[in-house]
Amino acid sequence: MTSTAPRTAPAAQVVGGAPLLEVDDLSVEFRTDYGVVKAVNNISYTLAAGETLAILGESGCGKSVSAQAIMGILDTPPGFVTSGEIRFRGDDLLTMTSKQQRDIRGEEISIIFQDALSSLNPVFTVGAQIGEMFRRHRGTSRKEAKALAIDLMEKVRIPSARERVDDYPHQFSGGMRQRVMIAMAIALDPAVLIADEPTTALDVTVQAQIMDLLAELQQETGMGLILITHDLGVVGEIADRIAVMYAGRIVETGATDAIFTAPAMPYTEGLMASIARVDQKGQRLNPIVGSPPDLARLPSGCPFQPRCPRATDLCLAERPPLREVVPGRLSACHYAEEVLGA
Amino acid sequence: MSESSVSTVPTDPGAARGTEVADTATDDLRQASLWSDAWRQLRRNKLFVIAAGLLLVLVVMAVFPQLFTSIKTPAEGGCTNALANSKVGPSADAWFGYDIFGCDQYTNVIYGARVSMIIGVVVVGGATLIGVVLGALAGFFGGWFDVLMARITDIVFGLPLLLGAIIILNVFPSRGLTQVCIALIILGWPTTLRLFRASVISVKDTDYVAAARALGASNGRIILKHILPNAIAPVLVYSTIAVGGIIAAEATLSFLGIGLQQPAISWGLQIGSGQRLIRTAPHIILFPSLFLSVTVLSFILLGDALRDALDPKLR
Amino acid sequence: MARYIARRLLLAIPVLLGASFLIFAMVFALPGDPVRALGGDRPISAAVANQLRDEYNLDDSLPVQYVKYIGGLAQGDLGTDFSGRPVSEILVQTVPVTVKLALVALAFEAVFGLVAGVLAGIRAKSFFDSLVLVSTTLVVSIPVFVLGFLAQYTLGLKLGLFPIAGVASGFSGYLLPGFVLAALSLAYVARLTRTSLVENLRNDYVRTAKAKGLTPLSVVGKHTLRNSLIPVVTFLGADLGALLSGAVVTEGIFNIPGLGRAVFQAIQSQEGTVVVGIVTLFVFVFIIFNLLVDVLYAALDPRIRYE
Repeated sequence: MTSTAPRTAPAAQVVGGAPLLEVDDLSVEFRTDYGVVKAVNNISYTLAAGETLAILGESGCGKSVSAQAIMGILDTPPGFVTSGEIRFRGDDLLTMTSKQQRDIRGEEISIIFQDALSSLNPVFTVGAQIGEMFRRHRGTSRKEAKALAIDLMEKVRIPSARERVDDYPHQFSGGMRQRVMIAMAIALDPAVLIADEPTTALDVTVQAQIMDLLAELQQETGMGLILITHDLGVVGEIADRIAVMYAGRIVETGATDAIFTAPAMPYTEGLMASIARVDQKGQRLNPIVGSPPDLARLPSGCPFQPRCPRATDLCLAERPPLREVVPGRLSACHYAEEVLGA
Repeated sequence: MSESSVSTVPTDPGAARGTEVADTATDDLRQASLWSDAWRQLRRNKLFVIAAGLLLVLVVMAVFPQLFTSIKTPAEGGCTNALANSKVGPSADAWFGYDIFGCDQYTNVIYGARVSMIIGVVVVGGATLIGVVLGALAGFFGGWFDVLMARITDIVFGLPLLLGAIIILNVFPSRGLTQVCIALIILGWPTTLRLFRASVISVKDTDYVAAARALGASNGRIILKHILPNAIAPVLVYSTIAVGGIIAAEATLSFLGIGLQQPAISWGLQIGSGQRLIRTAPHIILFPSLFLSVTVLSFILLGDALRDALDPKLR
Repeated sequence: MARYIARRLLLAIPVLLGASFLIFAMVFALPGDPVRALGGDRPISAAVANQLRDEYNLDDSLPVQYVKYIGGLAQGDLGTDFSGRPVSEILVQTVPVTVKLALVALAFEAVFGLVAGVLAGIRAKSFFDSLVLVSTTLVVSIPVFVLGFLAQYTLGLKLGLFPIAGVASGFSGYLLPGFVLAALSLAYVARLTRTSLVENLRNDYVRTAKAKGLTPLSVVGKHTLRNSLIPVVTFLGADLGALLSGAVVTEGIFNIPGLGRAVFQAIQSQEGTVVVGIVTLFVFVFIIFNLLVDVLYAALDPRIRYE
């Protein structure tokens, strides 16, 4: 497990001012036979060019859903975007025509998924699937697309690319398959890459390799990276800023170092405290008590309140808004200042 | 998921730590097993209810035909001196008309249900029993027995069902219910064996079987308590649908003259007797065909509903 | 791959021998003396009976009979029926008819089944989908011979659209029986295609295809269909094998002079040699087609190619 010491390198902050991607007050709900599940509730975050934003949260908190909404690949029905805008370079993706959206997907905004085996089509070669990006968006010939695919495979460091370009996904190991997904995603030099739990299914050593690869590619191309994960170790290594999500809401944002050293929300506090550390050997672990809430039946007031050691009647009665605690730090907690000071 | 109100939460801040959110939904307390889930889903499936209802009527018809008609069949001494009514169409006296012998068609059709039900249940029951037992042994123990079974089933599969039945039936000097059942069972068990064997093999490798073994369970116990209940679902679905298929097969054989013979009562025989009269007396073919089709349809619907209820992927 | 095929072929031989011996045993183990049946009502003199017995090896024990039969088979001699007509001649006359019928049926079930299945699959749970599901369930429930009569009556007699029996009128005589023969399989193909498509549309790689910015046509038509059709195509292949060997009822109803009718008549008249010859051919065809289907499956699905 990598250490959680704060990053010492300077965070690559906003380059050139205007944010590349702006999620503004986005809400997504799923209308199922069992009721309406509010998966994402009024979340907002921004991403600048060259920046890495980590969206951190437990399973089921809505982080993947928000990413799918950005990509426009939500299953509709049963998923519906009920409010908000998603602005890419100033234009709202949600109001574009289908064709415009399809042109942007893969070309400007790309996504890689957690399970590369199921996310790749088993009956087409990896070369064909990577090359398809060029053939679809740039009208490249099949032959040229294959050559470009080989180049990309070499770029993501798949050995013997030329021989393996005609292999099928099931013939690769997990880490290599993920590299294939990455190659497919960066093929057209997108401005934004969303990585949805890219390393969750991989071994720790392979994890490190993949994260290094992503960091390197980002340095090279200056693309923005949204990293969706529940793994704090990975976040600590690569992210510039963090947005913590809980029960479909953003409950804290800030620079990585700042949040790691001094969280401003009890949930984040709990997360930090629950990490197993080398110097804790022999002691009990500190999990956050209770379990994540049912998104179809959210409690009133603050969604974290049932599990929060600092909860008061105010927390039950009123949901804390996401507000700026100190410059650059947002927190959704009535007692954020106290948490910060603790 | 029940429509319960907002869950109660502790208002005492000090008690917040270590307290679970008390859930008023009672479903979480129920025993969640595959079968109880499946049953609940089945009850809600309208097609299942309709099919089950139809089949219930047919079963009653098979066991107590006297409830539906008071007229006796030729085999029981009824329908004597009736040739005057030969091929007469439906009327208020005879809802389904008369067959070529002048006997009441309605009675014939009602009694026909008995033969079909018996054959369906006996053949599928027998084939399933054989297939499950042998399939369990082949799948669980593997080895030479499995290879032997594979070869034998290959051979039986090579014979088209109808032809195989015809050839087997030809061996018997007389053709009655027993012989037809035997022929169809012989041709039917390989499919259930293959199906169950595949199921057993996939269940054999699961963690819970390994756990049972680690806890010291004997092979017999593992097979009966762990593997059987979990591997039986596809066989159940197939067998339900197969009953319909077997009923249709018997009807086909009787229609061809190879299955049951006159004066047995079988829908297939009735349809066969009317085949050349399709222009002049279509009612002779119509009513038995209707009953036959509805019976087969009910089993298929039943099997489909069962499959939907037992398929874990559809939850 | 070549080894896979070779291994399967090798395994097919004992199966073929076993099946043909089984058939042989059942046919010639018949109680009742075929020679006497041949004579009908006229008693046959002992000398003639003996001569016939000798010709047809009926005095030998069963295994010996079988071996002699196989020996003849290896030389291309399938034996003759009781009137002296070579079985091979019967085959030559009936096989083309059955093949034509089977191909017509295959065309029906492939075209209509696939189209219905694809349309139902991409519009799952729509009215059309329900329509397809209901109609296929109905078709599957109605036994073939009932369907045959229905078709003969409505389309042939009442509406006069097609010839109702025989193939004397040329190709159009194959259409109605071909359709009836295809009906059951058509229903299966439609349902299989639909279910396969619906299942595959739930897969993650469809999500990836959408995320790559591919058009809906490409997502469904190229990516999903290619995966969905694998089980369907293999079913069609196996079904062709079954069609070639199982049209007894349909040929009977529509009076088609094909293999099915020939073998049925032979069984009725206890023409053992003919029965064994034809049924063995059926088994052979069935086994070969199953093998072809396995190869086809490996060709279509790269995942099983490298086992």
